[in-house]
Amino acid sequence: MQDTTKANLLAAWRQRRRNLAHGWYKYSRNPLSVLGLVILVLVVFVAIFAPYIAPYPGHAKAYTNFRDASQAPSAQHFFGTDRIGRDIFSRTLFGYRFSLMIGAVVLGLGVAPGVVLGLIAGYRRGTWVEVVIMRVTDVFLAVPPLVLALAITAMLTPNLINQMMAIALVWWPWYSRLVFSLASSLRNEYFVKEAELTGASQRHILFREILPNCFAPIMTKMTLDMGLVILIESTLSFVGLGVQPPKPALGTMVAEGAKRLPAEWWSTIFPALAIVIVILAFNLIGDGLRDVFAVEDV
Amino acid sequence: MTEPILEARGLTKFFPTKRGTVRAVDDIDFRMSPGDTLGLVGESGSGKTTTAQCVVGIYAPTTGDILFHGRSIGATAAKRSKELKREIRIVFQDPGSSLNPKRTIKQILATPLAVHHLASGREQLARISALLERVELPPAEYLYKHPQSIGGGEKQMVAIARALATNPSFVVLDEPTSALDVSVQAKIINLLLGLQKEMGLTYLFITHDMSLMRNAASRVAIMYLGKLSEIADTAEFFQRPLHPYTKMLLSSIPVVSDEEESLKPAKGISRGEIPSPVNVPPGCSFHSRCPSRLDVCDKIDPATVEIAPGHVVRCHLYPGPQGKAS
Amino acid sequence: MPNPSSLLEIRDLHVGFRIFEGHLRVLTGVALVVNEGERVGLVGETGCGKTTTVKSVLRVLPIPPAIVTRGEILYRGRDVLRMHRHALHVLRREELTAIFQDPLQSLNPVFTVGSQLRDIVRDSMRTPEGRALSRREIEARCIQALEETGMPDPERIMSNYPIQLSGGMRQRVCIAEALSTTARLLLADEPTTNLDVTIQDQILRKLDRLVDQKGSSVLMITHSMGVVRDLTQRIYIMYAGSIVETGPTRQLLASPKHPYTQGLMASVPRLTGRGVSEGIPGRIPNYLEPPPGCRFHPRCPHRMPECSVEAPPMFDVGADQRAACYLYRRSPS
Repeated sequence: MQDTTKANLLAAWRQRRRNLAHGWYKYSRNPLSVLGLVILVLVVFVAIFAPYIAPYPGHAKAYTNFRDASQAPSAQHFFGTDRIGRDIFSRTLFGYRFSLMIGAVVLGLGVAPGVVLGLIAGYRRGTWVEVVIMRVTDVFLAVPPLVLALAITAMLTPNLINQMMAIALVWWPWYSRLVFSLASSLRNEYFVKEAELTGASQRHILFREILPNCFAPIMTKMTLDMGLVILIESTLSFVGLGVQPPKPALGTMVAEGAKRLPAEWWSTIFPALAIVIVILAFNLIGDGLRDVFAVEDV
Repeated sequence: MTEPILEARGLTKFFPTKRGTVRAVDDIDFRMSPGDTLGLVGESGSGKTTTAQCVVGIYAPTTGDILFHGRSIGATAAKRSKELKREIRIVFQDPGSSLNPKRTIKQILATPLAVHHLASGREQLARISALLERVELPPAEYLYKHPQSIGGGEKQMVAIARALATNPSFVVLDEPTSALDVSVQAKIINLLLGLQKEMGLTYLFITHDMSLMRNAASRVAIMYLGKLSEIADTAEFFQRPLHPYTKMLLSSIPVVSDEEESLKPAKGISRGEIPSPVNVPPGCSFHSRCPSRLDVCDKIDPATVEIAPGHVVRCHLYPGPQGKAS
Repeated sequence: MPNPSSLLEIRDLHVGFRIFEGHLRVLTGVALVVNEGERVGLVGETGCGKTTTVKSVLRVLPIPPAIVTRGEILYRGRDVLRMHRHALHVLRREELTAIFQDPLQSLNPVFTVGSQLRDIVRDSMRTPEGRALSRREIEARCIQALEETGMPDPERIMSNYPIQLSGGMRQRVCIAEALSTTARLLLADEPTTNLDVTIQDQILRKLDRLVDQKGSSVLMITHSMGVVRDLTQRIYIMYAGSIVETGPTRQLLASPKHPYTQGLMASVPRLTGRGVSEGIPGRIPNYLEPPPGCRFHPRCPHRMPECSVEAPPMFDVGADQRAACYLYRRSPS
């Protein structure tokens, strides 16, 4: 008995490894997708080890040095310094921390409720449950995301937590709708009917039968959304409704630097480029994931 | 007949649609004894699949009833008892969509065991392995595979293992081998018949393949546009087919030998298209295609008559005491 | 040397597919012939390579990942695989025609049946004098073509869309289209598999008559022995990418010689009620790592040591019947 269990687990591990290798093969067909992944890995690495990589980690906090203010990019300051003398390169690296964290938290907060509501509404399509859930979803979707986020943050004190909650509130309906349409077509599949006929609980059907078949579109969307969330965060910070100075959010940095274009171009351009790069990386990865999940035909 | 295990009484299922009412199953009666294999044969629109779906609980009858061991079960699965869901199981036609592609075979087989609290943990794994061995799939190889990496025949064997996991007494087989090659079909039918003897199962076998029923069923029933046109024990059925539609079906079978050719009632008598179940012709629904049609056939629906013990037919050529107006 | 009366001749065709896991060696030396006016069947189960073969003839294989490593497909002596685009286009238009399993895939859903049929008739047909047909003549010819397939109420059908018709009617439209061309060779890939058995019977009988009338040649691909028995004069049995047996249809079905064919015939349920066989043990081979020698040997009840060394050539086993099996080694073909 012990032997078969071990043999079975080994077989399972081998199979999983094979599936992953196949997935990587499909992903790596497109060099751009690999590039996106490389960029993201670098960004994450940089964000995690910012305190050790940044030449002037202290500049990410309250720091002023008017003597070195507004200096163009040089060997000492790769991205130059801003108006109060802080090293932009270091602050950019720390800025990535905020961007990634916000992306992760917002999606974590927003995706889960959206997915659950979508599952329930899709499975109970045609009943009052669906009507209530989807109409509420529609209400949230009717307002442009940026406007809604702005409105919410404006109502509350502008800080990191509120900013994240605001964006999360804007985000969940998109997942609700995505999963709703997936779930309402999946519920007619024979394997779902079989589970119903066996007497499986609704929880089993939603989370063990239907949800696994939704992972691919959800993950692809989440990857693409990361870029968008970061962009919205940057916009909120740009208009002053997000992370407050002296915290080095990339959007805030772009805003501060924008006032001094084109003379001190480095204080805006570099943080802006940093935003572009990370969003691009997520988009490329999202495209790559789509290739991985695409059904093949041989 | 001993106490029937399953009985349909006036079973009717209509589906209201925009284009009219689909009369999928229209007032059918049949009985099955324990250990029987009833072959329910028909073409598109015959209602055979809908009948199977009513028996298993995907639909509730519009009118009429289904009795299991004498007790009424005409309801959807949601309203049925757990015990009943354990006893009556189904194997679907398309192996590709009846197994969840995102789950492993172990997970798929574990579900019925878990839902009915039949086994858990190590014992569950042992039972799943035993099930796989019963359907001749080595567990070490198949437990952690996903459905997409195994062939159609093997998928159906997993589906059969899943159906048998709860130790049922009645299994509905909805065209289980129609999508499979003939050599794989033979293997599976063999397996099914062996399991039937071993576990004392009763099968309701839905199919369009009469040659298969000749060899696998103990009784055969033909459905056309929602109604039963003829039922008989297999041997009697093929020796003495009575209904014109039955003869048309038999004459259309593509056979592979001269011997079988000589057993067919005639050759090439099939004509006409199958009407849609939304537009069922009045009187006997087969009259528009029937070579033996009489005057009365487009006005009055024939009554069901028992010509010989166990051999029932619904046709004006075999009149009973009274006909029903359509 | 091409056979003079052969219309289609496939010689030693080897086709593979390059995929993630490696190189799938699917077809290994397929050889078949269809002569003028002949009806030939290509029979095999799922995955045996018959569809790949047909696609190779029509040259619609997706060339990567597919790759033709060896062989020729001669149509009237000219190699289809090496034809230039224009010649291929002319070939497909004037010489070959096909009917497939799913008529919804072959018929354009946004055009009426009439408009599709008229296009074909207009392009392919001429009067005896050689001029193009007038509109009235085209219309009459379309209606006649539909009538000949047994279509009820052809005038009304002309203005219907494919989605409005039943499966049997759609297939009749496809047959009408296929037989309204000048094509000499009809490729039919499982044309009636999806149809009800009474409808299949009608359609096959009509197809039989129409092909006779026109004098076309047919290559019918199917997995149904019964269909092939009524419609073809000669058949090829295919297994795992090569032909394992061939011969006159009725003769071969009555007396199969190759162990695979025997297993197949034993698996077919008979109207005589002789019971269900156990099928053929094992599975079709993995094309990534096919068994050496004869690809059927792991499943064969008569396997011998030489079977796993080299794939057997065709041996004579009776009047015009040949099987690729070392059991019949005594009389080489």
